[in-house]
Amino acid sequence: MDLTQLLNGIALGSLLMILSSGLAMIYGLRGVTNFAHGALYMAGAYIAYSVAQQVSFWAALIAAPLVLAALGAVLELVFFRRLQHRNHIEVGLVTFGLAMIIERVIVIIWGERTLSVDAPPGLTGTTSVLGSDYPSYRLLVIGIALALAVGLVYWLRKSRVGLHIRAASHDVETSAILGINVDRVSLLVVCIGAALAGLAGTLAAPYVSVHPAMGVAILIQVLIVVVIGGAGSIGGAMLAGMALGILQTVGAIWAPSLSVLIPYAALVVVLLWRPQGLAGKRA
Amino acid sequence: MTDNLTGAPELTITPGGSDSQTRLGTIARHRHWLVGGGIIAVITLLGLAVPYLVSSKFNMGLVLDGVILAFLALSIGFLARHLGLISLGHTAFFGGAAYTVGIGIGRWSMTPTVAFVVAVVVGTLLALIMGVLVVRSTGMTFLMLTLALGQALYQFSTQRIAIPWTGAHDGLQIDLSGGTFLGLTQKSMMNAALFWPVAWVLLMVCALWLWITGRSRFGTVLEGIRENEERMRFSGFNTDLPRLIAFVVSGCVASIGGALFALNAAYVSPELLSFTKAGDALTAAIVGGLGVLAGPIFGAIVYVLAQSRFNTSGNLHLYTGIALVLVLMFLPGGILGSLEKWVRGRLSRRRQATPPSTSEPSSPEDQS
Repeated sequence: MDLTQLLNGIALGSLLMILSSGLAMIYGLRGVTNFAHGALYMAGAYIAYSVAQQVSFWAALIAAPLVLAALGAVLELVFFRRLQHRNHIEVGLVTFGLAMIIERVIVIIWGERTLSVDAPPGLTGTTSVLGSDYPSYRLLVIGIALALAVGLVYWLRKSRVGLHIRAASHDVETSAILGINVDRVSLLVVCIGAALAGLAGTLAAPYVSVHPAMGVAILIQVLIVVVIGGAGSIGGAMLAGMALGILQTVGAIWAPSLSVLIPYAALVVVLLWRPQGLAGKRA
Repeated sequence: MTDNLTGAPELTITPGGSDSQTRLGTIARHRHWLVGGGIIAVITLLGLAVPYLVSSKFNMGLVLDGVILAFLALSIGFLARHLGLISLGHTAFFGGAAYTVGIGIGRWSMTPTVAFVVAVVVGTLLALIMGVLVVRSTGMTFLMLTLALGQALYQFSTQRIAIPWTGAHDGLQIDLSGGTFLGLTQKSMMNAALFWPVAWVLLMVCALWLWITGRSRFGTVLEGIRENEERMRFSGFNTDLPRLIAFVVSGCVASIGGALFALNAAYVSPELLSFTKAGDALTAAIVGGLGVLAGPIFGAIVYVLAQSRFNTSGNLHLYTGIALVLVLMFLPGGILGSLEKWVRGRLSRRRQATPPSTSEPSSPEDQS
C-alpha cells in the first residue's frame, strides 16, 4: 500500500475526527444532533477564505474558530437553551432549518463559485516522509488535528471543567442536582464544538475546494462517524472518524467507483453487529 | 414525554373485552369509520373538480407537483404521527421507485402500467431492507440512520459505475411513447390536468389506507409503542414487527408518489434522492402539521405554491429554513395542527358553557 494514500487517509480522518468530536460533545450534553454542523464547517472555510485573502492564513486559523465560537454561543443561547425542555427531535429539526439558512446566507455573501485558498507560504511544497514526497500542508493538518485530539481528551479527562462536561453528558439532571451549572457547561461545549467545526473548515479550505455543497457532503459523513462511534461518545467518534477516513481513501485505490459507499457499508455492518455503536452504551 | 411535534392527543386505550364495551360505544365506533370514510370520499370528489377551477396550465402543473410531493410528506407524517419517528430517508423509496420506472421502461421495455407496479414493489422492498436496519433505533439515531442510508442511494446513483443505469448527474429521460398508463398516453400523462385525477385519487386512497391503519387495533399498538416501548414489550407485544410494518407501509406510499412523478415528468435525476428533497418533504409535512392526517398534504401543496412565488432569486432554501425554524419554535403542531387545536378549544369551551348534553361522547382522537 502506498504511503501517500495512507497519509491522505489520515488527513481526511483528521478532519472527520475534529468535526465529529464537536458533534458528539454537543450531542452528549444537549441530546441534540446538530444538523447545522456541516454548515458551520462550511462557514469556517468561507471565513478562512476571506481572512486569508485580506490578512494571512495564520490569522484565519485564529479568526475563523473565534467567529464560529460566537455563532455557537448564539446557537446555544437562542435555540438550545430556550428549547431544552422540548422534544430533542424538534430541536434537531430546528438545527436542520438553521443549516439551510446558514448555507444560503453564505452563498448570498460569497457567491456560488468554487473558491480556492492557497496553502500558507513555506508549506506549499512537499516534504519527504520515509522516502516519498508528501504535501507539507497536509502534514500540518494531520499535526494540528492529532495535537488537538490529544489535548481535548487530556482536557476532558484531567481538568475540573472536563469532569463537569463528562458528568453532564452522562446524566444532565443528576449533575445539575450535584451543583454543576449545566447551562454554563453547555454554553462552553457548544462554543467549543462550533469553534472546532470552524477550525476544521479552515484547515480543509486549502486542500479541498470551497464550494456551496461542501457542508452537506461532510455532514453526512460526520453523522455516520458519530453513529458508528456510538452516539455521544467522543473517543468513539474520534476513532471512527480516523478509521473511516483511512478506509475510504485507501479503498479508493482498489475500487474507485465504490469507495464513496464505504462509509455506508461500514455503517450497515456496525449496525448489524453492534446497534449501539462501537463505544456506545446499550440504551 | 409529551409529543409536541406531532401534536398527537393523549393516548386513551379503552379496555378491549366485549363485556366492557357498551352497545352505544360500538355504534359510535362504527359511525366513526363511516364519518371518516365519508369525509375522505367527499374530499376526493371535490378534488376531481380542481382541473376545472385552475385555469392556467402553469398553476395546474404546480398543484400537481404539490400532490406528488404530498405522497412523500404523507408517508413521513404517518411515521411521525404514529411512532414519533422522523425519517429523512424516504427519498430513497420515492426516488428509487421513480428510477425503477425509468429503468424498467428504458432498459426492459416495460409498458408504463407494468413499470408503475414494479416500481412500487421495488420501492417497498427498499423500505423493507432499510426498515430491517433502522427500526430498532429511535429518536435522533433513527433520524441520522435514515438520512445516511438514503444518501447512500444518492451517492450510488451519481457514480460512474451507475451511469448505464441512472445516467449519473445527467439523469434519465423516459420514453413513454411505447404504451399507456391507465388509458393515458404519453401526452396525457405529461398534461397536468389529465394526470390529475389519477394522482389525486391515488393520494386519497393512500390517505384512506393510512387513516384506517392508524385507527385500527394495529394503530393503537403503534401509539402504545410510541408512548412507552418498554411497557408494550412487558405487556407481551412484539414491538419491532409493528414498527417494521409501519415503516414498510409508509415506504410503499412514498414509492407510489415517486412512480407517479416519473410518469408525469418523464425524467428522473439524482435530485429526487437528495438531501434537499428529503428536507423539502419534511419541511412541508411539519409546516402543514404532523399530527393531522391532512397536514402533510396541505403542507406539500402550500410548499410548492410558495416555492413558485418566492424562488425568484434562488433563495428558496433560505425561506424554507426560516419557515421550518419559526414553525417549530412558535407553532408546534404546524398550521393544520394548530388550527385543529384552536377549533377544539372553542368547541370544548362552548360545551362547558352549555349544560352537559346527553349526546354520545365524541372521540378525542378524531384526526381525519
